[in-house]
Amino acid sequence: MLIFRILNFLRGYVVIKILGSNYEKTLNLLSRRNISIWDVEKKDDYLSFKLAYDDYRKNTELFEENKMQLTKKTGIAFKLHKIKSRKGFLLGAFILIVCLYVYSTLIWSIELVGGNEKIKKEIKETLSSNEIKLPTNENYINEKHIETILYKNFKNFNFVEAYIEGSKLIIFIKEKNPFPEQIIDKSPTSIISTKNAVINKVIAKSGQPVIQEGDVVYEGQTLVMGIIKNKNLEEYTMVPSIGKVYGKTYYSFQFKEEKQRDIAMSTNKKENLYYLKINDKKLKIIGDTNRFKNYNCKVNAINIPIISNFTDISLEKNIYYEEKYEKVKIDENTAQNKMKINVFDDLKSMCSPDSRVITSSLNFTEDEKYYYLNAQIEVIEDIGKEIKIYPSALPKIEDIKEE
Amino acid sequence: MKFNNIRSKLADDLELPNNAASDNFDLRMHGNKKVIIENHTGIFIYENDVVGINTKDQSILIKGKNFKIEEINDYKVIVKGAVNEILINKKE
Repeated sequence: MLIFRILNFLRGYVVIKILGSNYEKTLNLLSRRNISIWDVEKKDDYLSFKLAYDDYRKNTELFEENKMQLTKKTGIAFKLHKIKSRKGFLLGAFILIVCLYVYSTLIWSIELVGGNEKIKKEIKETLSSNEIKLPTNENYINEKHIETILYKNFKNFNFVEAYIEGSKLIIFIKEKNPFPEQIIDKSPTSIISTKNAVINKVIAKSGQPVIQEGDVVYEGQTLVMGIIKNKNLEEYTMVPSIGKVYGKTYYSFQFKEEKQRDIAMSTNKKENLYYLKINDKKLKIIGDTNRFKNYNCKVNAINIPIISNFTDISLEKNIYYEEKYEKVKIDENTAQNKMKINVFDDLKSMCSPDSRVITSSLNFTEDEKYYYLNAQIEVIEDIGKEIKIYPSALPKIEDIKEE
Repeated sequence: MKFNNIRSKLADDLELPNNAASDNFDLRMHGNKKVIIENHTGIFIYENDVVGINTKDQSILIKGKNFKIEEINDYKVIVKGAVNEILINKKE
């Protein structure tokens, strides 16, 4: 019944009132004329019912002859009839519907499920370089093609699935396990020194240590040997050397810092420049480029509504801030702190991660132009490095015969 | 009358809807709230507490209260309200 009522509301219906008596005769007359009526209600002195506007229009004379009064017109059809005269409104409504239809068929965004931010950025760049740019019509997007592109460009993807849901392109990705199982290399190795140092501690889990605490070792010298003698036999066996050798190492640094420096200061003057950007070409619209000698520039991209969504046309606003170079005197404390930081930054890059500083001697001097720092630092660090032992190849029988 | 009986019997044997093949009316009720009558020939009385409906061979009198005719056309009539009694009388 609900669908029946909705249809009647869309088509439009009228409410009719019959005064007097002998309503039955009228109801039979209408049903014999194949006019369907509903919601027949009898009140004290009248009877009311509803019927479709089309039926009313076709049988107007019959209603007039039988003194039936039209009391109400309801339905969308009557509302539309009133709107007919408002042409601007109709045009606006039509444009709105067309725009809604067009926009609803477009894909507006890409949602990536899985992977980190870096991967997501790379995927978006890859898609745009393969001419999959948004917004685009969903008919131009082939999910299988996107999956193929991603499989080709990202070898570490285990699983890729692309599908369209509403106005979104959803790409589900699963990367291969980033931490593959560690393969334990059991080939024989020795540990050698990477630096000149004085041995502080030797921890050898496997292999034969050939140095002791307090020994001075040089770069490339063997610390733990991967050849050990069997206990009860005269034979030697080659094993992988595992262990750590800590040694004291010494570093010397020299830094200098200017007493006066040119620093760019803003003059609070600025100039706005507007460019029209078509593809990768820029066309200046407003502003002067050569106003300032020294400047700092900030670029803002401005998208033109609708146009930028469909084409590569956009605006670009460049703000030029004037700058003036001034000589600024650097105080001694600041310069010393900066040089100290430089020393430890350099030291960090030269030492192993588990290094420990034992002593440090920092000597600051200065002349007319510069501050100087001479630093000597004593560090305890892991100086060992594993290298593979390759057994020398046995001479071939044919070679021996020839000799 | 006789011809109608033959049609009705034939419809039963062929498992066809009886009211479609013959002039017999079809009466259905939804509890005591609604009465649906198909194959009617018109209304002979309509009041708030009584509705009378003619069919080819019988007249149906529905008694109760708060009656409304939910829908009426040349084939079907739906009466809504609290039904207390339905009388079927053969036409003379």
